[in-house]
Amino acid sequence: MSQKETDILSVLQAKFKDTSVQVQPQQLGKVAVIADATTYRDVLKALLEADEKTAVIAITGIDLGATLGVFYHIRTSTAGIITIKVEVPQEEPRLKTISDLMPGAAFDEMEVTDLVGVVFEGHPSPGRLVLPDNWPDGVFPLRKDAKLDNLQFKPTPPSEPASPGNEDIVKIIIGPQHPALLEPEKFALKVEGEIVKDVQPRIGYVHRGIEKAAESRTYLQDVYLVERICGICNACHATCFVEAVEKILETEVPPRAKYIRTILLELNRLHSHLLTLGHAGLEIGFETLFQYFWRDREPIMDITEIISGNRVISSGMTVGGVRRDINEADIPKIKGMLTSLRKRLPFYKKVYEDEPSIKMRMKNVGTLKREDALKLCIVGPTARGSAVDIDVRKDEPYEAYGEIPFKLITYNEGDTWARMNVRMDEVEESINIIEYALDNLPTGPFRVRVPRVVPAGETVNRVEAPRGELFYYLKSNGTAYPERVKVRTPTFANIPAFLATAIGSNIADVPPNFVSLDPCFSCTDR
Amino acid sequence: MLFDLYFVFRVLVFPGFTFLFFFTMFCDWVERKIEARMQNRMGPTFTGPGGILQPFADVVKLLTKEDIVPGGAKKTIFRIAPIISFSIIVFAISFLPIDGAAIIPNSSFAGDLIFIMALITIANFFLFLSGWASANPYSDIGASRLLTQFLGYDIPLVILALAPAFLAGSLTIASIAASQYLPFIILAPWAFVLFIVTLQAELEKDPFDIPHAESEVVGGLETEFCGGKLAFLRLTRDMQIVFGAALVVELFLGGPYGPVFFGFPAFWYFLWFVLKLLAVVVVTEYLTCLFARLRIDQVLTANWKVLLPLSVLSLTLTVAVATWVYPLVM
Amino acid sequence: MSKLAMWARLKSPWVLHFNSGACNGCDIEVVALLTPRFDVERFGIKLEPSPRHADVLLVTGSVTQQCAERLKRIYDQMPEPKFVVAIGACACSGGVFKGNYNVLNGVDKVIPVNAYIPGCPPKPEAIIDGVVKLLNSLKPEKPAKKEKKK
Repeated sequence: MSQKETDILSVLQAKFKDTSVQVQPQQLGKVAVIADATTYRDVLKALLEADEKTAVIAITGIDLGATLGVFYHIRTSTAGIITIKVEVPQEEPRLKTISDLMPGAAFDEMEVTDLVGVVFEGHPSPGRLVLPDNWPDGVFPLRKDAKLDNLQFKPTPPSEPASPGNEDIVKIIIGPQHPALLEPEKFALKVEGEIVKDVQPRIGYVHRGIEKAAESRTYLQDVYLVERICGICNACHATCFVEAVEKILETEVPPRAKYIRTILLELNRLHSHLLTLGHAGLEIGFETLFQYFWRDREPIMDITEIISGNRVISSGMTVGGVRRDINEADIPKIKGMLTSLRKRLPFYKKVYEDEPSIKMRMKNVGTLKREDALKLCIVGPTARGSAVDIDVRKDEPYEAYGEIPFKLITYNEGDTWARMNVRMDEVEESINIIEYALDNLPTGPFRVRVPRVVPAGETVNRVEAPRGELFYYLKSNGTAYPERVKVRTPTFANIPAFLATAIGSNIADVPPNFVSLDPCFSCTDR
Repeated sequence: MLFDLYFVFRVLVFPGFTFLFFFTMFCDWVERKIEARMQNRMGPTFTGPGGILQPFADVVKLLTKEDIVPGGAKKTIFRIAPIISFSIIVFAISFLPIDGAAIIPNSSFAGDLIFIMALITIANFFLFLSGWASANPYSDIGASRLLTQFLGYDIPLVILALAPAFLAGSLTIASIAASQYLPFIILAPWAFVLFIVTLQAELEKDPFDIPHAESEVVGGLETEFCGGKLAFLRLTRDMQIVFGAALVVELFLGGPYGPVFFGFPAFWYFLWFVLKLLAVVVVTEYLTCLFARLRIDQVLTANWKVLLPLSVLSLTLTVAVATWVYPLVM
Repeated sequence: MSKLAMWARLKSPWVLHFNSGACNGCDIEVVALLTPRFDVERFGIKLEPSPRHADVLLVTGSVTQQCAERLKRIYDQMPEPKFVVAIGACACSGGVFKGNYNVLNGVDKVIPVNAYIPGCPPKPEAIIDGVVKLLNSLKPEKPAKKEKKK
C-alpha cells in the first residue's frame, strides 16, 4: 500500500480505536472498514473531512444469511476505494440515510431498498427505482429466499392527472416512447411557461434483473450476460467483470491479451463518443451533423467486426485473456481506416468552434459548477467538462493503460459545449492509443486457462467506460457460480447532475443538456 | 358563366388545383432529394424513376389508413380544420399570376397583396385550431409555438413586401409582377435577403422549425392526426412552401415574365415561373440543411430585436433610393 | 383502386421505433439505418415520432414488466393497417435474459408480431432484409413469370 493509503488508514484507526469499528486491509490493497449501524456515519464524516474528493461510488445490498449487509464503497483520491461494511438484522432492516452528507447517494439507497429491502430513514424521496410499479410488496429479488415464480402483480396504479392544482404549471411527460430517447424512461417535467420547475424521473423500464440472473449462471456464462447490460459500452462491462474474477483467482493475463483488450476498449469508446456527438446534433435540430458523424462512425464498426466478428457486441473478453487474436494481416487496413477518421476531426472541431447555431444552443446550457460536480459524485466526461480531473485510466491504470501515453482531457466551462468538446478530444486520444497499441503489440499467447471453480473471496474493480467510471463488486463462494455481482454504472451516478441542471432551465434546453451527459438507461436499470 | 369551360379548366386542372397538387408533390421531392444529398445520402430512389413518385405514394397511403379521432378531442374542429387550412392556401395561390394570368381569371384587384397575406394568416390560424382541438399536451405546445412564431414574423414580412409594392407603385400582385422591367431583386436586394430569412420563419423551416421539433414536442400539432387528415396537414405545409416561393417570384424575380422565344407566350411565362420557383425552393432548402434549430426565446429575439427594425430600415431605404437615386440613373 | 393502395403501402412504410427493455445494441443498429451508409429513405421508410403516423412498429428488447402495458397502448394507438417487427434475439424470445424475474420473454407475449429478425444485434442489412420480406409478404400471389428467352 502506498504512503498516502496508510495515512488515511492510520487516521481512521486512531479516530476509532476505542469503538467497534475495525479497519482491515482487504484483498489487493483495498480497505474494508467494519462498522455497525451507529458508527458508519462517523466513519464517512471522517473520510469527508480528510479528503475533499471523497465520493460514494455505490452501495451494495447483499443477503448474508442471518443479516443483510449494506456495503458503502467510497472513492478517495489518495487511498483508492474504501468499503464500509454494515450489517443489519433481517427482521429489522433499517439504517439512517447518508444523503444529507452525500446527496449523490440518494439513488443508490433507493435501489437497495427496492432489491434487498433495507429501509433508509430520512431519505428525501423514497419510492420505487428499478422495480415496476405493479411489483408485489414484500418481495425482494436479491434475497436468497425470494420466491420469484408465479408473482402476483398488483394492478397498475393510475397516473397523476395532467395539471394538478396550479393552472400555470403544465406537466409534460417525456417518454417512455419519445423520438428524442433511444430508450424508455419517463421524465415528468413540471413547466411554467417555458421554464422547468421540477423534474421527476422514473427509471426501471429496462430493468432485466441481471444481478440476480448472474448468480445462477457460471462465470463464463456471466461474461455474455454482463456484456448485454449495455450494447454501447459492452466491452467495458465484460472487461470489468473478467478483471474482477481474475483478481480473485490471482491470474496473470498475458501482455498480448492486455493490449488486445485495450484496443477493443478504445474502439468501444470511439464508437460511443461519435454516437453521442451525432445524437447531440439530432437533439438541437441539426440533422446534417448527425448524418455526418454517423457516417464517420461506420469504419469503427467495421474495425470491430474485423477484430472480433461482430459490429456492436464484440464478445472479445474472456476470463484469462481474449477469445480471438488479431490477425497481423489486418493491421494495415485498420490503421488506414483510423487515419482517414483522424483526418476528419479538424473539420468537426471547426464546426464546434465556429458554427453560430451550435454555440447558441450549447453554450451556457446546463452549466455544472465544479463544487456541485464533486458533491454529486459525477464521473466521466460530464465531470471532466467541469474541470474535475478523474479518469480511472489515469488514477488506477488497468490493462495496458499504464504503458501507453495519452492525455487526460478537461475543460473548465462546465456547460454542454464543454462536455461535447471533451468527447471530441477524447476521440483523438483514443485513435492515438489504438495506433500505439497496434504498433507495439507484444507477441505471445493471448489466453491462459483458468479453473472453473473460483475460490471464496470478494473484490472490487473499476474501469473507465465511455460515460465514466464503471464499478463492479464481486463476491465468490467457492463454487462455479458467483455469490453476488454488483454493478454501478456511470449514468446511474450522473443522473443527479441532469436533475440539478435541468431545474430552472428553458424547456428547449432539456434535450441538449440530457444528451450531453450521455445517458444510457439500459446501464442504469440493469 | 358558371359552366364556362375555360374557367373550370383553369381552376380545376391547369394551372389550378390538379396542377398545384402535383406540383407541390414535385417540390416536396426536390426538397427531400436536396436534404438527402446535403447529408451525403440518396433520398427516395425506388418509387418511380428517381423516387419522384414518393410524395404521391405517401399521400395515397395516408388516405387509405384507418381514421382515428381521439376521445377527448373537439370532434368537429378536429375533422374540418386541416381541410379548411389546405383550401385557404389553395385559394390564396389562385391569385398569383402563373402563366401571365392568375388561376381564377380576371381576379386581381387593388390591394390583393394584403388580401392574400391575410389569407395565409387565417390558414395558419386553422392549423393552430387543429392542434388545439387535439386534446394532447404536445399538440397544445406545438400549436401555440406555431401561432407565436407566425404572428410575430408576419409583421416584418408585410413590411418587407411593401418594398417591391412601393417600387411598382401598386399593391396588386399582377401589376407588381408586370412592372418589373428590371427584377426587384436587383433594385432592392436588401429586401430580398431579409424576405427570404423571414420566409424561413413563416414556413417553419430550420433554423426556425420549432413547431415541429421532434425532440421536444414529438409530432407538434400533428401528433394526434392520422390518415387523411394527416395527409392534408402535410400538404398544407408543403403548399405553403410553394406559396411562399411563388410570392418571392412575383415580388422580386419578375413573376412569370421573361424572354419569349417562339410560339405561345403563356407557355414561356409558365416555364419561367416554374424555373424561378424551383430556384427559390432550392435556396430555402439549402438554408434548412445548414443550420441547427434555435430556441423559442432566441427566435422571438431574432424577430423583435433584429428583423423588425431591419425591415423598417429596408422599407425606408427602398423609398429613399427609389425617390432620389433611381430617377437619376434610369 | 386497391392495386394503387397496395402499391402506396408497399412504397411508403413509415416506422416507429420502441425499445421495450433492450441493451441498446439493436436500437443503435436501427438508428444506423437512417445514416448514409444504409439510407432506408431510398425505400420510402421514414422514422416517425408519433404512433398515430406510423405503419410499422419496430420493437427491440425483451419486454420488461414496466414496458408491457405501454407497448400494448402504443400498439393500440396505431391506425390500421399496421405491422409489428420484432428485432433482435431478445424481442423474438427473450434472448440472454430469458427467465429473469422482470422480463416477459419476447414481444409476441404482448402484441401480435408479423416478422422476427434474429441476431444479437442483427446487422442493419439483416434488418432491411426483414422489413423487405415483410413488405413482400403483403403482395398478393403473382402467377409464375414465364422464362425469358436468352
